[in-house]
Amino acid sequence: MSSYHNDLHGYLGRQRWFAGKDRDFEVVDVAALPSLTTAPLVRVEFVTVRYVDGEEVVYQVPTVYLDALDPQYQHALMGTVDDGDGERFAYDAVHVKAGTHTLLTALLENRTDEHLSFVTVEGTALPDAADQGTMMTAEQSNTSIAFGDSALLKVFRQVSDGRNPDVEIHHRLTVMGSTRVAPLLGWYEGRWRDVHGHQNETHLGMFQAYLRTATDGWDIALASVRDLLVEEPDRPSQAGGDFSAEAERLGEATAEVHRQLAEAFGTSRWERRDLDRIVDTMLARLDRVATVVPAVAPHAEGVRAVFEGARATPLPVDVHRIHGDLHLGQTLRTVKGWKLIDFEGQPARPLAERRANDSPLRDVAGMTRSFDYAAQSARLSFGPGDDARLTELANAWTERNRRAFLRGYADGSTLDLVTAAPLLRAFEADKAVYEVGYEAGNRPTWTSIPLHAVEQLATSG
Amino acid sequence: MTDEQGWYQRAVFYEVLVRCFLDSNSDGTGDFRGLTEKLDYLQWLGVDCLWLPPVYPSPLRDGGYDVADYRAVADDVGTIDDFHGLLTEAHAHGLKVIVDFVLNHTSDQHAWFQASRNYPDGPFGDFYVWSDHNDRYADARVIFVDTESSNWTWDAVRGQYYWHRFYSHQPDLNFDNPAVHEAMLDALRFWLDLGIDGFRLDAVPYLYEREGTNGENLPETHDFLKRIRKTIDDEYPNRVLLAEANQWPSDVVDYFGDFAVGGDECHMCFHVPVMPRLFMAVRRESRYPISEILESTPKIPTGCQWGIFLRNHDELTLEMVTDEDRDYMWAEYAKDPRMKANIGIRRRLAPLLDNDLNQMELFTALLLSLPGSPVLYYGDEIGMGDNIWLGDRDGVRTPMQWTPDRNAGFSTATPGRLVLPPVQDPVFGYQAVNVEAELADTSSLLHWTRRMITNRKQHPAFGLGDFIDLGGSNPSVFTFAREYEGDVVLCVNNLSRFAQPVELDLRQWQGRYLVEMLGHVQFPAIGELPYLLTLGGHGFYWFVVADPEEARTA
Repeated sequence: MSSYHNDLHGYLGRQRWFAGKDRDFEVVDVAALPSLTTAPLVRVEFVTVRYVDGEEVVYQVPTVYLDALDPQYQHALMGTVDDGDGERFAYDAVHVKAGTHTLLTALLENRTDEHLSFVTVEGTALPDAADQGTMMTAEQSNTSIAFGDSALLKVFRQVSDGRNPDVEIHHRLTVMGSTRVAPLLGWYEGRWRDVHGHQNETHLGMFQAYLRTATDGWDIALASVRDLLVEEPDRPSQAGGDFSAEAERLGEATAEVHRQLAEAFGTSRWERRDLDRIVDTMLARLDRVATVVPAVAPHAEGVRAVFEGARATPLPVDVHRIHGDLHLGQTLRTVKGWKLIDFEGQPARPLAERRANDSPLRDVAGMTRSFDYAAQSARLSFGPGDDARLTELANAWTERNRRAFLRGYADGSTLDLVTAAPLLRAFEADKAVYEVGYEAGNRPTWTSIPLHAVEQLATSG
Repeated sequence: MTDEQGWYQRAVFYEVLVRCFLDSNSDGTGDFRGLTEKLDYLQWLGVDCLWLPPVYPSPLRDGGYDVADYRAVADDVGTIDDFHGLLTEAHAHGLKVIVDFVLNHTSDQHAWFQASRNYPDGPFGDFYVWSDHNDRYADARVIFVDTESSNWTWDAVRGQYYWHRFYSHQPDLNFDNPAVHEAMLDALRFWLDLGIDGFRLDAVPYLYEREGTNGENLPETHDFLKRIRKTIDDEYPNRVLLAEANQWPSDVVDYFGDFAVGGDECHMCFHVPVMPRLFMAVRRESRYPISEILESTPKIPTGCQWGIFLRNHDELTLEMVTDEDRDYMWAEYAKDPRMKANIGIRRRLAPLLDNDLNQMELFTALLLSLPGSPVLYYGDEIGMGDNIWLGDRDGVRTPMQWTPDRNAGFSTATPGRLVLPPVQDPVFGYQAVNVEAELADTSSLLHWTRRMITNRKQHPAFGLGDFIDLGGSNPSVFTFAREYEGDVVLCVNNLSRFAQPVELDLRQWQGRYLVEMLGHVQFPAIGELPYLLTLGGHGFYWFVVADPEEARTA
């Protein structure tokens, strides 16, 4: 491992977007695309990381090389290289003005060569070249840069061969004139050969309109639950911070996005075989999680019944492209209503799966589970679980907002939620089971949240 | 700012009911001379313009909006000479005065109506809208559905139906009759000649009736308003017309008139939906109810201004603002009985906010900083209460509480003679809440309100500036900037009862400083990173966005 590889190893280990912090890994390759500018040198680089189990993952790191250390970018210093002309310092370009400016200029100039293309979407309002790029606060898996108050550049960190659904969906919905997403202004895509000689072609970053006045649905929902738990009225409807009208509008917005996705990408149908495959996947997940988290076992029978119940869903089931990872944190409340963001799907799933048609009820279930999370996480922060009144109120909050969301969704959808109820319940239970597994491994103190849901779903059927 | 053009764009208005402010002659009713005595107080408070609801002779079946004579004042509030004295003294104090003027209708006691019903062929025969049938203009809705079943009422004297958009004792004037135009313009000139600084025009959308329309916002109505405006511009410059049109901002904006000339109808219009949205935003602990309505408020012509208020004398029901759109308000309010009840007025600010000083200050700070000229309601500056047992709108029209002495210092008459009894409950009664006590206490709501008004007046951005919603990371924190020719103020409002952090994107002012306005305290410089602020429950900040050199001295 070269010394720069060593430097990068350290840098990656400190980045929030680097998914392998808890595993042993080494940097096995750094591949650079031709430079975008030369003074200073700015270029897109791909860092290949290999874990001890042999898994390889590629990260995109736009890099700027400075001749001297710049203390204001100390947090973005990745390492030192010496290619014979003397020492130069490699910085993560998203943090450095010269770096973000280069990316913006490349977009405005529609720069294209055999390795890298910057593409703009016609008819959208592009940012001004003079707009200064600023790193947004930490994000889970990508890095976002705001240009002035007009545009946001999302740099995809972990990249794999193929079209990125986030760009793909935003592009189609923008062209369609959807008001439910932040319009896509443009993107950049790269073509390069990886360490195994395989030719990759993928989206690397996207420029979107910046929804300056927005806040995410999770924060608004939490504010509502907090208000309820402090005020302790008889019913959530009497609390000042009632969220249900927002939840209903959020349901309408979700249904609208689903209609647009169906129109933009077409629909297909699940027949018996497909539905069985879905249910079998749920059952398999349940078995896996029940082995790891013993507390699930007592409810496994009930949950299985919920899954089996979904097999009776009338066929065929209409499916189309969906959001794939919908929850309150993927929604933005703006002064012009709700918008959905981040159409990448669940990053942990393979790209092909994320781009496949699926039941819109999976998104619906994602959201209703998210209401439960909002209520119960606020409830947990209010102290020990033995205050029955608080628990009751938190449950009532979830139920009230779940209903409101479904009402709004049903209003805007052709889907009959009554017929679809067993399948929706199955998706909710599946999601809760997945969450139990996730929390047990990552946030054990929160395991009680999905576990409680699993218990309820298992017994209420 | 007295004589400058556009004074109303920066003015702080103060609505005062003459009958309820101060009684100078011990007859139990407030009067012009009483109000005149209190001009020192109003000047000290810092308001710029008094708005007097109707002072005309009237049977008072609609709070004086049922005018029986446009060219006189009611006996109980004084004489025309007294009124002239008030105007002269007010002007000497640097205060302006506007009065209510009702264009649409008169009282059925007005001489014009009496002449019209008794002498159909006389000069006033055509002053009102008469018909043999009660089925014309069927598309015009009945506004006061609680008391009226039709817009037509039979008059046995004349043997015809007459048209009224409001109460049946308030017949609508017939604006298709040119003589009515002249009569109204003459009435306006009467007050303008006395030196009045303008009019608040009541119920303007309804002047005309046309078959097949709802009779609101008709082009003929706009034409007549343009005519009034032209009269003012030609003969009485720098007077103001403030329209009351209880409609959605996108409809109200038409009452400003032509953009190209900076507006050629009313100088000001009330922005009614802001008020309930403020209450909703604080109740929901969410900035969106208010952000949304401001986002959907259209631009207005350069010479114009919105009027905004928290409370006033009138009954403002939700129904009047939610005519069409409005599903938002319905979705929110219909489910919340407490909000529904609170918004139909009849309550003053302090009792509406459970007498919570933090909330009163937050609401007042919002009123004084949002786009538009603020209209304070008399007594709210000391946190006066109301008397819900008085019924109708009288509950918020109780006498101004000056002192803890008899009759709240409002009058030396026998208590039984007072126009309305002063509030006497233990929390809001005049022994607890009065001007004298609050004057003596520099940390009182009264002193605080005065300081806020003073600060507002130092910054043209509040009156004239653009409004920039800054969003921010926290949905419970409502942050906006006002900017006018280099004067930039930043207002950060915590709509939640809990302490809140907020991260703001202030990069457009990078390198400048925030200086808190009330204490001139300098906050850290604005850098590239999100600017972190923390606020106490219902707390707020007003900042000047200052250059480094200004910051040290600000």
